Amino acid sequence: MSDIPGGPMANRPVHFIWLLDCSFSMQGEKIAKLNYAIREAVPEMRSVAHDNPAAQLLLRTVTFSTTAQWHHQTPVPVDDFTWQDVQVDGMTNLGEALHLVARELQTPPMPQRALKPVLALVSDGVPTDDWKAGLKAVDATPWGRKAVRVAIAIGADADRGVLQEFLGNPELQPLDANSPKQLAAAIRWASTAAVKAASQPVAGDGSGVSTAKQSYAPPVLDDDDDDDVW
Amino acid sequence: MTLGVRRWETLAGSVQGVGKRRNQDWFDCRGTGSGDDPLVLAVADGHGSAVHARSALGARFAVDRFLPLAASFGRAAHDCHEPGRLTRLMTYARDDFPRALVHEWRQEALGHWDRNRPVVEEAAREPRPQEKLVLYGTTLIGAVLTPWLFVAWQIGDGDLAVVEHDGTLSRPLAPAEEDLGDETESLCGREAWLSVRMHWAPVFEEARAPRLVVLSTDGLSKSFASGDGYGEFVRGLAGRLAEKGLADVRETLPDWLAQASRYSGDDTTLAAALRPAETPLPAEAPAPSGTPAPGEISAPGEVPAPAEVSEEIPADAGAAAERTDGEADGDADMERKTET
Repeated sequence: MSDIPGGPMANRPVHFIWLLDCSFSMQGEKIAKLNYAIREAVPEMRSVAHDNPAAQLLLRTVTFSTTAQWHHQTPVPVDDFTWQDVQVDGMTNLGEALHLVARELQTPPMPQRALKPVLALVSDGVPTDDWKAGLKAVDATPWGRKAVRVAIAIGADADRGVLQEFLGNPELQPLDANSPKQLAAAIRWASTAAVKAASQPVAGDGSGVSTAKQSYAPPVLDDDDDDDVW
Repeated sequence: MTLGVRRWETLAGSVQGVGKRRNQDWFDCRGTGSGDDPLVLAVADGHGSAVHARSALGARFAVDRFLPLAASFGRAAHDCHEPGRLTRLMTYARDDFPRALVHEWRQEALGHWDRNRPVVEEAAREPRPQEKLVLYGTTLIGAVLTPWLFVAWQIGDGDLAVVEHDGTLSRPLAPAEEDLGDETESLCGREAWLSVRMHWAPVFEEARAPRLVVLSTDGLSKSFASGDGYGEFVRGLAGRLAEKGLADVRETLPDWLAQASRYSGDDTTLAAALRPAETPLPAEAPAPSGTPAPGEISAPGEVPAPAEVSEEIPADAGAAAERTDGEADGDADMERKTET
């Protein structure tokens, strides 16, 4: 170890927050497949994190149904992260979930010295509360405005308009997951591509090209050949 | 008053970031710091992601074009203590130099694109110039030091630190608030010259010239856990130079940069000019060349192309100069930054 002046060094955190719809409409196979897909995606997230040694990937989850609550409130390093299944319950209070997240995107508690956070929203329905107020609260935070956002629409009933507004960029589209297989692929993409995007430097908007957005444009998922289509 | 020429020593190096396929930083140091041969330093940091696939070249073009422009500007500062001349120089440095630099960089990048077109289908649309330039996106920090003047320019992230004659540390081009995340302003921006910040510091007394000027890419400052880490690093560097000398630091620098890059994950580059405090020098003593210390990339060995900025300050600078008389005689940091 060289005796470099300046004190301790450290890599920078990437805060990754899942926002998961756990309303009753997710009951049955949807929630089971969502739990399975996220659990299966964790090793791939570790792999991406190890490929970006300068980024310390920290995971959290907030679920929303009749209320919104932290499933993991304290940021967990990806190497220590184990998935605990989420359960369904009631309504679709997305706005409350966004308010919870907005509080965490303030500085403090978010450090100034960090890479862009990732907000990954997964929903199959229509919000039942004032989700626009929640989104406004997120957009009002400096880190919320900078966040890499991804959205996954599960099934035909998902309100894509809400997800589109969450993304906040007409060039990006929510990723449709109309079957278990597509959901697994979408979760895998959200888990990895967004983390890569968060840890890549890009020119600001002055370049005239929204470079930051292109680097995590969602993939085209294969047409589904499952019997089980939502 | 005749000012003696102060000899500058230079120190520079660069290491590739962990896991990067190539080093997308570039740097160079040229000149002695005399009136006829200003010392010019520059570091550039190509953005590096897939959408900026040619940014290593963009960084090189930025440094290569900055050097002759800045040297020419430095030579033009020869009689800058004549009444009114300093003001005109400052106006030029603030308004015209950034435009000239951006223009030259764009010409270089677009010329390279034309000579190295990607293979595409015939029916493919010709990219717009702005789209081509994004491929080459880079930051730049550059400085010119003459016996009369110290001027620095910066676009995008990275750091300029100055240890003044009395040991005071300043970071004259640091933004009031650091950008969050890794978004940065860039030479590939649509009106990039508006995003160039300038530090203006005439040297009225030789003894009050800076002791140490450090330029570095953000791979260094972003490696420190503490917000004050970078400042502490520069203080420590100045202390080590004073205590153990330049040769010792030159030997150690690659290890320091490598350690920083392990934490920042970024290519890490530093170029510095040191004014030995206790070495009396004759007014026109020859100084060592600005060849950087060994790093993982080497600075180009060619002498820069002839200066391409007129050594005369443009006549139309006068009107603007009238407006800035009050500022021109002291240090001035000017920032024209677009929102990102």
